[in-house]
Order: sequence, then structure tokens, then C-alpha cells
Amino acid sequence: MAKVKVATVWLESCAGCHMSFLDIDEAIIDVANLVEFTRTPITDIKEFPQVDVGIVEGSVGNTEEEEILKELRAHCKILMAWGDCACFGGVCAMRSSFDKEEVLRRGYIETESTYKGKIPRPPGVPALLDQVKPISHVVKVDCYVPGCPPEAGAILYALKELLAGRIPVLPSEMMRFD
Amino acid sequence: MKEINLTINGKQVKGKEGDTVLEICQANGIDLPTLCHYKGLSDVGACRLCVVEIERERRPVPACTYQARDGLVIHTHNEKLERYRRLVLELIFTERNHLCAQCVASGDCELQSLAYKYQMDNARYPYSWPSLPLDSVNDYLVIDHNRCILCGRCIRTCDEIVGVHTLDFGYRGWKDMVVADLNQPLGTSSCISCGACFQVCPTGAIFSKNSAYKGRPEECNKVSSVCPICGVGCKIEALVKDNRLVRIDSPDLTDKRGILCHKGRFATLDRNHERVDTALVKNDRGKLEPRPLSEAVDIVAKKLAELKSKYGNNSIAGIVSSQASNESLKAFKEFITGTIGSELIDTLDGDAYRAITQGINAYQAKAGLDTETSIEEILKADCILVVGANPLESHPVAGSYIARATKQNKAKLIVIDPSQNSFSYHTALWLKPKAGKESLALNVLTKAVINKGSKKDSTQVKKIAASLKNINVKQDSEQAGIGANELLEAAEILGKARHSVIVYGDGILKHKNPGLITSLLSLAAITSNQGGGKPQIISLKPKGNSRGAWDMGIADLSQSIMKNLSGNEVKALYILLADDVDISELPNLGKGLEFVVVQSSYLSSATSKANVVLPSPTWTEVGEKYSTLDGMVKSTSRLIKPADGIKTDSEILREISKHMKK
Repeated sequence: MAKVKVATVWLESCAGCHMSFLDIDEAIIDVANLVEFTRTPITDIKEFPQVDVGIVEGSVGNTEEEEILKELRAHCKILMAWGDCACFGGVCAMRSSFDKEEVLRRGYIETESTYKGKIPRPPGVPALLDQVKPISHVVKVDCYVPGCPPEAGAILYALKELLAGRIPVLPSEMMRFD
Repeated sequence: MKEINLTINGKQVKGKEGDTVLEICQANGIDLPTLCHYKGLSDVGACRLCVVEIERERRPVPACTYQARDGLVIHTHNEKLERYRRLVLELIFTERNHLCAQCVASGDCELQSLAYKYQMDNARYPYSWPSLPLDSVNDYLVIDHNRCILCGRCIRTCDEIVGVHTLDFGYRGWKDMVVADLNQPLGTSSCISCGACFQVCPTGAIFSKNSAYKGRPEECNKVSSVCPICGVGCKIEALVKDNRLVRIDSPDLTDKRGILCHKGRFATLDRNHERVDTALVKNDRGKLEPRPLSEAVDIVAKKLAELKSKYGNNSIAGIVSSQASNESLKAFKEFITGTIGSELIDTLDGDAYRAITQGINAYQAKAGLDTETSIEEILKADCILVVGANPLESHPVAGSYIARATKQNKAKLIVIDPSQNSFSYHTALWLKPKAGKESLALNVLTKAVINKGSKKDSTQVKKIAASLKNINVKQDSEQAGIGANELLEAAEILGKARHSVIVYGDGILKHKNPGLITSLLSLAAITSNQGGGKPQIISLKPKGNSRGAWDMGIADLSQSIMKNLSGNEVKALYILLADDVDISELPNLGKGLEFVVVQSSYLSSATSKANVVLPSPTWTEVGEKYSTLDGMVKSTSRLIKPADGIKTDSEILREISKHMKK
């Protein structure tokens, strides 16, 4: 049987969901036998081939993240969200209640340890969006594994469901938002 | 109550007329999700999670506010209702900030638990991201409006259970939010910081600074006990993790003495006072230095034995705080009067004890403290007279009872107090006698009530009337500084009441005047006799276990030993403070004293003057007995282990005794 092709990205996030995936321990061997990882932050491949499953960690807070997400959506059959940031906005979305200029000012100028701070605005740096969004507010998402980070067991459950040809929905007892 | 028959999910069930559909579902084991409902509070149907379908109703209705009727056919769980419930949760989640990972309540949140149950794994709706204020001005409580779901539980608790009604909704519609008073910070409002709102909050909108991030309930041990701090004796349930107090809650807010106040709920978790964690002995240079407990006990025993043989038994006096447990008090009494054989023993609240006991004896010989009634009588009262007391501050749960009686029973509250009182908006009448004229004011009021025509011409009433025959209501009320009209109005209210209760406290006791107590008892006898019972009177006592100390008769009834140390030629003083932090009554420990022992949980000006300091555990570290201010004996449980080497007060006292008898 041909291996299932998977691509993963991390957008606005801490990499914790990918770390949690690695926490599935020896089960990773079974997964590796069934799955081919193409572009992922771990393989460091830059291009998206056409894949069966796209996996997203992180929320969408700037124009680059928005672009990557849309590109992945265009290259995958099933899109899965990992973690609170991708599912709900998560910790990254804490800034959404504030004006983005206020956020930049606070971060680059007003922090207590900053001396003569300046907001860097070189060309090419992606612009912040007004608000941080969960990925479902940008593209169509097929399934979700919330958690901050998701439990390794929840990630494994979702992968196994997908490999069995089902769209995973986490049972209540596996749900975690923290 | 009439029985009714209903059909729920195709099953025949019974209920009582007047039950809500939710109550009947719960009684029959049908699990409906709720957020705004809380046992013991009125229902408002704010969250719409308990919606059910009732045949012949056009649309789903909230079960919590729907009165059940005979013959209703109800469906509680079908695909449509479950879809609605999930939709409500999704709307709540996107309305404000409900991102759990950065929330203090995560893992202990009803909203989160429901989202798990309904497998809400994404946010379907756009977020509105309001930027709402965070109110952290209060000493203990924080309100984060971003986490609030406007269920109104805190508001109803504040009103219906605590009775102060500080919280309410402010603004309209989209801008609706919980506000304190006229939208003030909680810390500057009429809030009494009882923390009941924190206990009922289903999310992380109201949280406690003392408990935040210390541990989740599932990581903690639960220990049931009783709070002995003020003498009301509220039941508590403590969460403990790694021998640290994480949180103190009421096991049931709607239960008798289940409300709790800031002292029991929050101050117990404070660590504002430095502990005495080992025995300290004054060295040659006059500095206290740590010593093993056994060594300190030996020094105390030798020194006391020496002074006793040199100057006699009565050269040693004992002072104990009535904050100590019954066990500690008993051991202390045995130690001072038995082992040492001294007659000089006093309590920090000895003056209040003497005034009350002598006052009661003058009213009726040998009546004793059982003349007083229980705090629960307040809840039944239709008229409450608060004299020289500020219960919402000194005994907040008793204060809540008064506030609730004024709201729920429409009881009339009369305050007699020259000073400000927290009951401003519950009070029907506030009489302000001139300072020092309280006794006259009470006698004039008693006379005025008698003049209004007492229904019972008992010997007691006749006796009281005879003792007041020289009082002229009009002239003497002016003497006392109260307008005659106001006084007559108070007499009118008291005269009409069926069940009036008198509550007095610090403002009366500070005068150390037994006559005032007798006057109060006479007034109570006259007003309570309208209903034909015993005098309904309660004194709010100075210390948490005052009643225990007074029932044991520890303090000298004829004189203050504490204020007359030099007159009694006292050479040595043994002071047991236990975990009391209020030592304002303690006399100057300087002159004439050769040896001072202070046994205390905390360092203070008293310990710094002692020759030997012995450690006391706090009430959270031992399981002992305490008497409530109305005379019930309650047992506490140990919540946490004390530091190594700390023994109970009575253990240490017995060890000293043993050494002295060698």
C-alpha cells in the first residue's frame, strides 16, 4: 500500500504541538511505516507537494502565515488543526483585544528592559493582521485536535482515525484546552 | 404540596406542584447541562443550556424557569436540543475571552467542562474581542470581565445568600457587565470580601489572589472542618496540596453557617505574620535566640519553680487569649491554678466577660450565658436591634443574616450606635446616642416600649417597669442625644414586632459596664415578650473562642488581673496567645516583671519582650474543639501539618508541669 503523504506547518505558535506529536514515543515507528512526511518543520523541505493530509499548528497572525495556510489548503485533501492556537487562536490571540500598533509599541518600546526602542518596519517583514485568527476563520478545516499542547494520545488517536479512513472527532474524555 | 405526573423522554415521572422542570429532571436522574443555575439561588434562565422541548410549546424553553404542570410531555435530549446547546456554548466562547490555556480556572471551569462534553473542538463564530477591564483593587478578589459569561450567579449569591447586594448588572445589551455598587472597583465598594461570588463563579471571571495557580482541585486533598476565627463557627472545606492551603470554600453556601467571610475564606491563607517556628530564649545580651523546645521548656519550668518558692504562688499570673481552643484553655487553667497554684488568671477579653456575666447576674441571678439565643434566630426575626456593633465587619456571617432578614423577611432594622455602621441601606432607623449615654438611651427606649402597652404583664415586665419609673421619655431621650420622635418610632416598631432580636457587640462591651448589659437584657425581655419567648439577645464576642473561655470561667470575675499586675505584685507572667494576632488588650510587659513567657504562633511586640517564647500551632494545624459565640461546641480538623517540632499548646503546658513537679 502506498504511504499516506503528510505535510505539516507551524504558524504563530510555540512548536509545542509538534513536540507533543514526537511524544507518541514508539508508536512513531508504526506511523512512519504508514506515513510519508513531506514538507514539515522537521524535514525542512520548503515546497508543498500534493499531499493527503495537511497538519497545521498555530494561529494566523500575519500575512505570511495566511499565505502559507492557504497554500497548504490548496495542496492537501484533508486539513487537520493541532492545538488551541490553530483551533481557537490560543495564547497568540491574547493580543487580539488590543490595537496592533499598541501591541507593537508595548513589545518594542515600552517593555521595562528596553532602552531607546524602535518598532522595526523593514520591507519584506510580513505585516501583522488586526486580529489573530484560528485557522478555520481563514480556510476550510476538516478536523481538530485541541489542547495546549494536545496530549500525545489525542494526536495519535486522530492520526489512527485518519489512517483508518475516518474523519476524527475527539471523544469528550480526550478533550483538553490546556 | 400536590403531586403532579409528567412524561419526560417517554417515562412517567412524579413531581410536586411548584417544582421547575429542571428540579424534576434532577430529582429523576436526568442530567441537564446548566451554567446560570446554582442550588439554593433563584433561577433566571440566563444561559439557555437547560432548554427542553415541551409538547404544545412553540419553542424550546429553559427548564430552570419553567413551572412544571400536571400532564406535561417533555423531551430533554434529542439531536436538535443537543445542537442548540452546543451552539450556545460556541456563542459564549466567542463572545469574550475564553481561551483556556491562559486562564486561572482551567481545569476547574464549568464552561470548559461543558465544552469538553459537547466536543466543541473549534470556534465557528467570529470573535468579538472586547477589551474589558480587570478589577484587582480588592485585597483578595479579582474580577476579569473578559472571562464573564453574565450568568449572574455572583449577583444572586451576593443578594440572596450574603445579603449585601454589592454586585449587580450594569449597562445594557451588548455592553452588559457585572458591576459593584455604582460601577466602582470592588475594593472601594460595599463588598465585604466574603468570596461567595468566587465560589459560585462557573468560569475564571472571579478568582482569588490567594488561591490562583496554587493547584487544581483534582490535585488537592479535601478536608472538612470548622472555622474558629470569629465564633460564628462556619463549616469549611479546605483544599490542600503538598501541605499548603490552596483554597477554603463553604461545603454548602445555602446551609446554616455556610456562607463564610473574608477571615475564614481568605485571611487563613494569608501569611502576613511571621511565625514563631521554634522556641526562643533570651540570651545574656538580651537577644532572643533559637533553642530546642525541650531546653526552653526546662528553662521555663526551673525559673517558674524558683519564683514560686521565692515569692509565693500568686507572684505568677497567667493571661490567655480566648482565641485558643478549648483544649488549650483547659490546659492553661490547670497549669496556672493547679501546677502553679496561682489565683491570678485572666483572658484578653476578660473585661467583656466580667461586664456580660455581671450584667446577666444583675438581670437574673445565675442565668448565665445560656440567656443568649442562637444566631439563627436572626433569620426568623421581623425586627432586629443592632446596638454598638458592626457585624458585617466583626462577625460578617451574622451580619449577612441580619441583611438577609431585612430583605427576605422584610424585618425592620434599628441601629443604636454613635458610630458609623455598614448597614446603611438596610437600616430603617438609626439612633445615635451621645457617647456615654448609651445606657440612658436603652432605658428610655425600654420605657417607651412599655408605655406603648406591653401585652404581657408578667412579673418580669413589672419589675423592669418599676426600675424605670424615674425615666421621662421626652426629657431623657433628649438627654441621651436622641430625638423623642425617633425614639418613639423605634418603640413603635419594637412594640409591633412579633419576633425581635437584639444583637450587640464591641461598641457596648468597650464600656466595661455591666449596667449596659442589664439594660439590654431588660429591653430584650420587654420586646421579646411581645412574642412570648425568652429574651432574644446575642452578644458578638471579642474573640473566636470567647464563649469557650467564658463557659470555663477562666478569668477572675471580680477584677482585671491583666490591668493590675503591679498592684498584685506579679513577678512572672505566662501568656498564651495561641494564634491570636490582636494583642491590643495586652498590658505593658516592661516594669516589675522578672520573667515573661509568651506562647504564640506569631512574632509580635509581646514576643520581643519575652524571656522565653514558645511556639504555638495555628488552628489549621491541629484538630481541636471550639465553642461558638452562641454556645455550640464544634470540632476542627487538622488541615495541614505544623512545622517539625511544634507541639500543641496543651502538650507544652503539660511538659512544663511535669518538669516543675520533678
